[in-house]
Amino acid sequence: MAEELERQLLVVIFDVNPVWWGIKSLQGQAQITKYLDCLRVFVNSYLLLHFDNHLAIIASHSTKSVFLYPPMKETGVIEPEETAPTDKVGNDRRYGHFARVDNTVTDKFKELMREGCEESDIRRDSVIAGSMATALCCIHRMQNELPGKLNSRILVIKAADDAASQYMSFMNIIFAAQKERVVIDACILGHNSGLLQQACDMTNGLYLQIPNQDVFLQYLLTAFLTEAELRKHSIVLSQSTRPREVDYRAACFCHRSLVDIGFVCSVCLSIFCQFSPICSTCETAFKPPPMAAKTRKKRKTPA
Amino acid sequence: MEHLQTLKLKCLSLQDYLKGLPPVILDSLYDHPATCMGVFRELPELARYHTMRILYVEQPISKAAAAAWVKIAAKPDHEIAVKSMLDLRVWIETSLQGSDSTAYTVNSVFRRNLQKALVGENDPVLSTSHLGSDKHAKNTESLSNYADERWEAVLLHMVGSDNKSTISQDLKELMLQAGLMKQEHGTGKVITAKGFQFLLLDNATQVWYFVREYLDWIRGRGMNLVQILRFIFELSFSTLGTDLPTDERDEHVLTCLQHFREMGIIMQRKRKSRRFYPTHLAVDLVNKANKPVSTVVNKHGFIVAETNFRVCAYTESDLHYSILSLFCEMEYRFPNMCVLRLTRESVQRAVVNGITADQILHYIKANAHAEMLKDDPILAPTVADQIRLWAMERDRLTYRDGVLYNQFLAQKDFEVLRNYAQWGCFGSVVRYMVVTMEGHDQVKRYWKKIKKES
Amino acid sequence: MEDQSEDTAYRWEGDYEKTWEVLQEDESGSIQASIEAEINKAKKRRLQQSRRNVRLGMMRHLYVVVDLSQAMCDQDLKPNRAVAVLKALEIFAQNYADQNPISQLGFISTSAKRSEVISEMSGAFQRHLKVLQDLGANIITTNAKNCTGEPSLQNALQLGASSLKHMPSHTSKEMLIIMGSLTTCDPGCIQDTISELSKQSIRCSVIGLSAEVHICKHLAKSTKGSYGVIIDEGHFATLLNEHVPPPVEISPESSLIKMGFPHHVSPMESGKISLCMSRNKFTAGGYFCPQCQAKYSELPVQCVICSLTLVSAPHLARSYHHFFPLPQFNERKVSGPTKACYACYKPITTAEYICAKCKVQYCMDCNAFIHEILHSCPGCDISRTQFIPSSNGL
Repeated sequence: MAEELERQLLVVIFDVNPVWWGIKSLQGQAQITKYLDCLRVFVNSYLLLHFDNHLAIIASHSTKSVFLYPPMKETGVIEPEETAPTDKVGNDRRYGHFARVDNTVTDKFKELMREGCEESDIRRDSVIAGSMATALCCIHRMQNELPGKLNSRILVIKAADDAASQYMSFMNIIFAAQKERVVIDACILGHNSGLLQQACDMTNGLYLQIPNQDVFLQYLLTAFLTEAELRKHSIVLSQSTRPREVDYRAACFCHRSLVDIGFVCSVCLSIFCQFSPICSTCETAFKPPPMAAKTRKKRKTPA
Repeated sequence: MEHLQTLKLKCLSLQDYLKGLPPVILDSLYDHPATCMGVFRELPELARYHTMRILYVEQPISKAAAAAWVKIAAKPDHEIAVKSMLDLRVWIETSLQGSDSTAYTVNSVFRRNLQKALVGENDPVLSTSHLGSDKHAKNTESLSNYADERWEAVLLHMVGSDNKSTISQDLKELMLQAGLMKQEHGTGKVITAKGFQFLLLDNATQVWYFVREYLDWIRGRGMNLVQILRFIFELSFSTLGTDLPTDERDEHVLTCLQHFREMGIIMQRKRKSRRFYPTHLAVDLVNKANKPVSTVVNKHGFIVAETNFRVCAYTESDLHYSILSLFCEMEYRFPNMCVLRLTRESVQRAVVNGITADQILHYIKANAHAEMLKDDPILAPTVADQIRLWAMERDRLTYRDGVLYNQFLAQKDFEVLRNYAQWGCFGSVVRYMVVTMEGHDQVKRYWKKIKKES
Repeated sequence: MEDQSEDTAYRWEGDYEKTWEVLQEDESGSIQASIEAEINKAKKRRLQQSRRNVRLGMMRHLYVVVDLSQAMCDQDLKPNRAVAVLKALEIFAQNYADQNPISQLGFISTSAKRSEVISEMSGAFQRHLKVLQDLGANIITTNAKNCTGEPSLQNALQLGASSLKHMPSHTSKEMLIIMGSLTTCDPGCIQDTISELSKQSIRCSVIGLSAEVHICKHLAKSTKGSYGVIIDEGHFATLLNEHVPPPVEISPESSLIKMGFPHHVSPMESGKISLCMSRNKFTAGGYFCPQCQAKYSELPVQCVICSLTLVSAPHLARSYHHFFPLPQFNERKVSGPTKACYACYKPITTAEYICAKCKVQYCMDCNAFIHEILHSCPGCDISRTQFIPSSNGL
């Protein structure tokens, strides 16, 4: 009999940005309901793998982040797993657990859509960073509550584009995930996202771009179902054999262009592409650079 | 000598059981979503991922393509996974169109039903909505109390400490057949070594073992195996607290239902009730049997094992005391708890009865008190190691069959044979030697040859 | 433990200092509660120190001096002081590497009136960890036979200073001395060394294991470091952790440091084999210095050929949270209907923590998690309350 079994926890963050989905559905390229169905089948397969698998689904809107599953009330009471599913339709032969998940997700999603949002809240980017931060807090809580080891994963299904303003939060989240040993996977529906590429690379996750909606379910079942430990067995999924490289170069603060060699202010760590006498962020004055370009011996402290 | 050999209690897993069934039965078995889900969960990990990968792919996958999915280092796991799937007829071998190379595809019946389960398609089905709501609806707590009570009655009967035979003749017969109890002359039925080991397993594994024996028993009785297996899988995927109807079921299934009712796997208010409730024993049936300790930890753990080998059991149940006194010595007994001590004598006494150290440790960990569960590791390594050492003390000797040669007529004959059979052991003064079974034939031939020559 | 004002010329001219009155006995005669209260007060004071708008030393060169003299064989820390200190230093090194990815660390030991470098100053923290582990294992197996003699504070300081002298001025030069012995045996006048150190703006801090020693206090004060004497192992870990985040910068020097951001070439892409300078082996992929094209296997590293510091953007980003520290949340007792924590939806029972900007409540665990590991408030992220100017455009 094996000793400690490791449980799995999967948090799916589904991007429901109204602008992106609206445009796509007008163009006839993507329907959110179809994607939601595929997601439900994927989630059912995940639950089927092992009876002890834990799950959470978060919908990430442009100004709010809502838990689609498990159902969380304002008073914080999570419905216990044992309550009977709300069988509105009498002839329901679905496995009770699947039925619960499906019903909860559908109900919550409808509620979210019905609530709508203000004019000012309509933006092109979603609060992915905020949802991921909430996911990390949840994972942290689960790790304390459940006995034994917990292998956690965050799967981000991203549609809208990145926002530069989320860079700081994103980096914080990546470092926190590294520390908590959480794997971040990304399934990209729209354009490539540099932030998520970095996140997946630094946490040993998987980054894939989906070409169209017909293959969405197959991608999910093939690539994202496998838990992190077993991915090293697969040729396709293991990191060492993937050709894609992540660009870790920094962008300079003045032109926002990527630099190979930059000047870094020692006080505030902002990056510049060329020397300037005053740092624009922290307004420190600098001395002009030494005349000799490369000094082989270490510089002595100036008098 | 029988008590010196450890009769390992072998509990076949679901997989092995299913592999033993003929293909026709398997196929008809798979025509039921719950069965497919249950079998799916029993596959090895890699097999599950492979199946999911090609669940929605209609064309067969060639053997080479499947092998290309994994790295070379993981090839053995891949082979095991494929073999288990072929054995269970989850994957079927076919050939690719236009070529003779072997290809695999998911069994179409299996595929159809698993897809149904995942997508949540509804078959017109068994539900109790036509019966109206239950006036005597039970909540989960009363269900679990009922289940615990019934199962404890079964176990108490095994231990022999209840005289009020509350279980039926059928179950008693089943226990005899399973080898958990045996009929002693004069003293009635008594528990066997296997029975001792059985007591130390966790509830879910015990129930599964019982149900497996039950399946063998009914096969002997000629009841419809397929329907009953389907019923079992349906139970294990049902929800606690939801009732299921008894209409439209096979009569064999109804008989089985009554037996299960006695065991505490389901609860039915009256024999003629039209609805029944599965209990946690049913739901855990497929999921928790034979699984590692951390999944089967008893929510109401009562054992605290200290590093000075003292064991405190906060329980009032006689059954628990009987089980604990199998391998501990009772020291004090209080109204709500009792104090026992793990000693060398008590552990070795248990080993004599066929219980292994692993089973003892598993029992302690599975029933550990909530306070103990907070420690990591649950049981102090000193205690765990010491139990193992005590158990191993009885294993210093290994036994092999051999043949005794004695009464040699001449010393010379003895010495010739001794030099030939270096692997036997011998006593030169007394002039006998023991040769292993394998060597016996050779030595016999050699002896005959010598005899002929001299 | 108390600060003495230096204004009075002679001690007897000042008032009586009843230092013993700080510790109060409770009814059973134990001062445990009083000590704990002191420690908690110090902790709260530290947390509330506002570190915004202060210059922090981001690139640090820190030498840790470990006393391995006779006094370290004492068993008041289990199994003996030397082993306990080395284990604590392993954890310290990991946290340090975590919070200061572009900084460097070095280890010096002192025993038998001499001192030597046990691990060179470098950014390769794996190597440091290995050295510490080997040293700890060695002490256990030889039963601390090598911990003899007396430590030499002056030798250790001079050894460290001689190496730190050559570091560029914009970096923060520090030494952390872990002193177990109450004595030191020095070749010359230690006051000269101390004044030299303060002239070089090398900040020295001391953690004492036995009792307060005047010379250590003087050293810490002159070089603007800190001095603490441990009470037990937990307190030792706390004191060590104080040195993990970047210290407030004392030297007025600041400059623009030229850094390279090498591009990673994967083994599959390049296919060509070249010499890796950090491991001295021939390998296929790696990071190429943008200035001289030398190859390295991991970052951050200082190019040995053109002495350009090579880092990647996440390394710098890891330190950004020090500039915009998350303000403490307001603690409030729970009143009224039970609310759920905003992040993890656990019902809050004892105390809730409210973020000043986005006004959402968190439970105690999430509060600790957010401040120690996450460094950003989920509520502010979701409601997009910006308090960070948008930086790197990616």
